[in-house]
Amino acid sequence: MSNLLSTMFIATGAMAADQGALEVTANNVANVNTPGYSREIPVLQEIAPVVLGNVTYGTGVTLAKIQSVRDPILQLRIQQESGEQGKLNAFVNALDQAQTLFKSGDGDLASEMSNLFSSVAQLSTNPADVSLRQAVLTAASSLTSAFNNLAKNLSTQRSNLNLNVAESVKEINTLTQQIAALNGKIGALQNVGQDASGFIDQRDNLVAQLSGLIDLSAIKSDSGIALTTSNGTALVTGMQSYNLSAQDDASGVQHVFTQQGADITSQINSGSLAGLIEARDQTIPGLLNQLDTLAAGLETAFNQANAAGFDLSGNVGGNLFTPPPASLTGAATDMAVAIADPSLIAASSDRSAGSNGNLANFSAIQDQPIISGATPGTYYANLVFDVGNDVSNNTAELQSSQLVLQQLQDQRGSISGVSLDEEAAHMVQFQRAYDAAAQVVVAVNQMLETVINMGTVAVSS
Amino acid sequence: MSALRVNPYVLSDLLADLNNTQQQADTSSLQMATGSRINKPSDDPAGAAEMVGNNIETVRTDTFLRSITSVSGLLQTADSTLSSVVTALQRAISLGVEGANGTLSDSDRNDVANELTGIQQQILSLANTDYQGEFIFAGTATVQPFVTDAASPSGVTYDGNAGTNDVQIGQSYSLQVNLPGSQLFTDPQGHVFQSIADLISALKSNTNIGEALDQISLAYNYITGQRVFYGNALNQLQAQQNFLNSDKLDLATAANSTSAADMAKAATDFSQAQIALNAELAGISRISQVSLFDYLK
Repeated sequence: MSNLLSTMFIATGAMAADQGALEVTANNVANVNTPGYSREIPVLQEIAPVVLGNVTYGTGVTLAKIQSVRDPILQLRIQQESGEQGKLNAFVNALDQAQTLFKSGDGDLASEMSNLFSSVAQLSTNPADVSLRQAVLTAASSLTSAFNNLAKNLSTQRSNLNLNVAESVKEINTLTQQIAALNGKIGALQNVGQDASGFIDQRDNLVAQLSGLIDLSAIKSDSGIALTTSNGTALVTGMQSYNLSAQDDASGVQHVFTQQGADITSQINSGSLAGLIEARDQTIPGLLNQLDTLAAGLETAFNQANAAGFDLSGNVGGNLFTPPPASLTGAATDMAVAIADPSLIAASSDRSAGSNGNLANFSAIQDQPIISGATPGTYYANLVFDVGNDVSNNTAELQSSQLVLQQLQDQRGSISGVSLDEEAAHMVQFQRAYDAAAQVVVAVNQMLETVINMGTVAVSS
Repeated sequence: MSALRVNPYVLSDLLADLNNTQQQADTSSLQMATGSRINKPSDDPAGAAEMVGNNIETVRTDTFLRSITSVSGLLQTADSTLSSVVTALQRAISLGVEGANGTLSDSDRNDVANELTGIQQQILSLANTDYQGEFIFAGTATVQPFVTDAASPSGVTYDGNAGTNDVQIGQSYSLQVNLPGSQLFTDPQGHVFQSIADLISALKSNTNIGEALDQISLAYNYITGQRVFYGNALNQLQAQQNFLNSDKLDLATAANSTSAADMAKAATDFSQAQIALNAELAGISRISQVSLFDYLK
């Protein structure tokens, strides 16, 4: 049987539901600028009807739950792309600094090499002239400084990257700890059937940050989300996080270790940590090796040329440059001119002071394939090409990765983003429904008054 | 609610676009400022490598040109010195012819002989000419090449050597830049000092003057022949200088086409980026202003 009071309950229930829905709108509007926030929608549900005789009465509405709108697959794609972008970004940033050292112009390695050969050519026009001899030594020493500076700058960049690796490991540990803590909170709420979307949003956001740092694969389980690196190193399982650590190896290079002590430095494939490690362990050492090869090749060739002739006093020439180490490592960093006395340059081929015959051996160095089958100039030009190409290829990849990520974020926004227009419309909608329900309460109230007055009229009459 | 939902967060996209446009503006303004479209190797890796080669070649060409300037000074000095020697020998020959005249008295012949001694001294000093502090007829030695030596039949000894120097004036193009004094002045085919000394003693003793004159003519012809070496070398320098200058022009043209910024394009790019930048900024300022909330009053 229907009665006025049950009608009143339906109306007040509707008011409560609409108010709850409005609260969801309010929360959405409040979080319009919160990073990683997924909009929520109120799920309104009909209350089970009652059947009385032949009539089925509806019993009103209830706010069944508040649901976050999110696409977990999309979230996963965003994580993967963030990892790719993080890696490319770190790599391009590192190499962009390195490539400025290879900018062509005055003072670059190629012009210092040219200056040395040029000074030798000048000396050949007047081989006994001490000031021209001095000019050769000065040019040689400028060349060694250019090599020294270039190698030192690259080494400095390498040690900066090394510091960044240690910093990244700390950041990763902070994030995994926070994610593990959120796993706990989310689990606790979900166990008692509560909505944990606020925490889930936070966790998604942290996981996205984490995937920008290191390669991740995420597995959803009952105890929340489990995170491992792609090679299977556990980072988070349930409420437990596993710290990574960064430790120096013998040469001061920071390696990344798992809690179990396994070295995973070379197994990190994406995220900024991967980019840092690639630049630090492969690209920059590769450049340093090439510089060492070039420096050692030049030193050896010049020393051989000098030994083939006679100095101003008619003695067989000695070393012009300090001989490079047999391993070549550090040849560029430590390149140095071995002599300070310009008369020791062995220009002569016949022991006479005025002979320039041996200088042809010096000049010939620039045309000889003495550095891994290339002339010194070509070898250096190839080095410049390699550096430039590395940066430009990775920059192109970075740009396309940025576009992909932007599109994914757009897609995420179109699914989970808070639209103020939509919220305004919802606000009007819920407000109107609330108003209407309140009107029903007023109407029922008047009807109840009528019923109550019916009694008083009867008594008074 | 069936319509496709649009991403409400337009701002981040707009900011990313703004960033891209800003970068375009920066790139084109850098190109305009430096005049070069390769401002770091990654701008054009192949072009940057090409520029390394081009710079090396340009410096090399400049070096050859500088060597040519230095060497031509040396060669010109040598050439004009030999020209003076030739003139002196001509004078010696005419003095010899004068001395051979049978009507001359002993004292007249002595005067002629004394004048020849003066010429001998003059040629000795010419043979010891230096250029920028180095004796040009000493071979590859750095000592004074010819010294007076009473014990020697020719009156001088050669202290230099027979060495020669080559100077590179082009890629695999070297030019010999000197003749040793021994080849020029004391060669058996035309011994300048010996022939003068012989003429002097012939005049003094009034014997074999004709023979001595023949010898000095031989020396004259010989050294005139040797002088051609310097003329040839100077011609080669001139030709090579022309070649190197045109080579330099080619290199500059190549460098220009490899690395020079297209100024018109850079300027257009820049102004387009500026326009886009303004439009984006205007868009951003409007978009964030309106929502349905503004109409619910």
